[in-house]
Amino acid sequence: MASVTFEHVTKKYAGDVTAVKDLNISIADREFLVFVGPSGCGKTTSLRMLAGLEEISEGKIYIGDRVVNDVAPKDRDIAMVFQSYALYPHMSVYDNMAFGLKLRKVPKPEIDKRVKEAAGRLGIQHLLDRKPKQLSGGQRQRVAVGRAIVRNPAVFLMDEPLSNLDAKLRVQARAEISKLHQQLGTTFIYVTHDQVEAMTMGTRIAVMKDGLLMQIDTPQKLYDRPDNVFVAGFIGSPSMNLFDATLTGDGNDVYVDTGAFRVKIPETRAETYRSMRGKQVIFGLRPENIHDSNFTPPGIHSQEIEAEVEVTELMGNEVIVYLNSKGKSMLARVDPRTQAHVGNTVKVALNMDVFHIFDKQTEKAVR
Amino acid sequence: MFSKGFSFAKVIIYIVLLFWSVTVVMPMLWALMSSLKSDQEIFFSPWGLPAQLLWDNFSRAWVKAQLGQFMFNTFAVMLPSLFLTLLLSAMVAYVLARYSFRGKSVIFYLFLSGMMFPMFLALVPLYFVTDYLGLRNTYFGLSLVYVAFSLPFTIFFLVGFFKTLPKELSEAATIDGASHFQIFFDVMLPLAKPGLISAGIFNFLGQWNQFILPTVLMTNEGLPEGQSRYLLSQGLYFLQAKQGYESDLSGMFAAVVIVTIPALLIYIIFQDRIEAGLTVGAVKG
Repeated sequence: MASVTFEHVTKKYAGDVTAVKDLNISIADREFLVFVGPSGCGKTTSLRMLAGLEEISEGKIYIGDRVVNDVAPKDRDIAMVFQSYALYPHMSVYDNMAFGLKLRKVPKPEIDKRVKEAAGRLGIQHLLDRKPKQLSGGQRQRVAVGRAIVRNPAVFLMDEPLSNLDAKLRVQARAEISKLHQQLGTTFIYVTHDQVEAMTMGTRIAVMKDGLLMQIDTPQKLYDRPDNVFVAGFIGSPSMNLFDATLTGDGNDVYVDTGAFRVKIPETRAETYRSMRGKQVIFGLRPENIHDSNFTPPGIHSQEIEAEVEVTELMGNEVIVYLNSKGKSMLARVDPRTQAHVGNTVKVALNMDVFHIFDKQTEKAVR
Repeated sequence: MFSKGFSFAKVIIYIVLLFWSVTVVMPMLWALMSSLKSDQEIFFSPWGLPAQLLWDNFSRAWVKAQLGQFMFNTFAVMLPSLFLTLLLSAMVAYVLARYSFRGKSVIFYLFLSGMMFPMFLALVPLYFVTDYLGLRNTYFGLSLVYVAFSLPFTIFFLVGFFKTLPKELSEAATIDGASHFQIFFDVMLPLAKPGLISAGIFNFLGQWNQFILPTVLMTNEGLPEGQSRYLLSQGLYFLQAKQGYESDLSGMFAAVVIVTIPALLIYIIFQDRIEAGLTVGAVKG
């Protein structure tokens, strides 16, 4: 059990490629932190630096109170689950799980106890004699997790451990890893490119892009209050609708003018934007905040606009509608009773209580 | 055979293969047949079957022509040399394939250039070096020379093999707490077994057929009468030379068969491996 701290951590590769730039994160003990971002954003590099598989170019990494920059991976009290699982192909499942303990000269009965306990926890007791190639993808993934938990480490590192599983298994494994985190009460650090995994598993999420930390917060806060355009677009599925717009208006009124449509910012939030009138901004609205005007929930400040329906995707409990309003495309997640059909022009209501405005230049949120 | 995809090209291919097989198999069969005949039969009906099977030819070759002794000598040289070749090559190849360090490619190409070095150029210096070190006419001395000549190819071959092994495995072992040596011996070496077997077979066949090196470095000088340090290839040559004054053709054919058997066995047992070894690195396992 331990906290983890990244202090001004930078990773540079030969040829002046900077993979991670000035990363500062403190991860509390027992936290489940997820690094998320598109490929090449530095999330895996950050994890590998923490694991000791990559050298740290600048800055310090702490595990607990100890700087681990120059500590060998085996002495960092960590265990890691790899994307490819990296099970030793020539060893049985039992030996795979016992390998790390054997190297640490743990007495045999103790090894046996811990391996069997971990296998029981993961439901792989009956596979202990098999070789990795005799296992299915899901079973291999469990063995890889098992190999990590027998070691009883202070910090678990997981590098996209679910990306080789099929969709159904992934959902199941997601829940199992979350459960494991609750049972073990250990710090988990998890890397994924999948924002759904990040949202469902993390107690906090660190969103990265091009080696920079874009925002770190709880899933709900990231979703509700993204700090910048990147996080706004990355978190949430389908992703947030983003429009280039200008703030206009006179007197006390502030309008968002996208060129295709013009909507009024409600009084309660207008104050913030009054001084920005005339400025270029990015206007963001999540698909679930665009309603079919026939089914607008009561009590919201909504603004109606007209849009043409291009595609509808029936999901059962909701319909995803691809809309086009005078050349501006947007997605709406509407009530399944909607009458929107492809080719129709429909009235949709934009919920103006929960929009986002970002500065066009800095792409930072203005609240 | 031709039921699917019958084509003219295939017929040609099979005809060529058939011709090839016959040219390879015929001499072997002929030698086997001749090894069971009497000398008269070999001369007067070279293509006929033996009238009776004279197994005595083999015992004569084994005992009188000292084939047994030569066989022992050969293995006494080759077992250590094969072991050392594989062990050292695997260690060098692993480092060259897995670690990056300054001068790595220089070392690699230095080994590669060893593959192109003509053995004949090295003979005279080798003679003097081994003589000076007291290694001439010793089993281990010749083993070491074999190792030196086998390293370049084996390293080249195994570097390719080690490169195909996933990097995550050594990383996982690192985190599990394995040292560099433990990663090599506990994880990487067992995984390299197919490559090691292939390399072992190639080296076995190459060293089995070695003639020049033992001829120069293994002489019987100073040995008491009746003892010999000759290897099989030398012994066979010696037998053939003896035909000039002490004709025992049937015994010589028996010797030829005896010499062929170990190599043939290796081919038969490991034919899959030899084939796989030729395409190592082409397909990821």
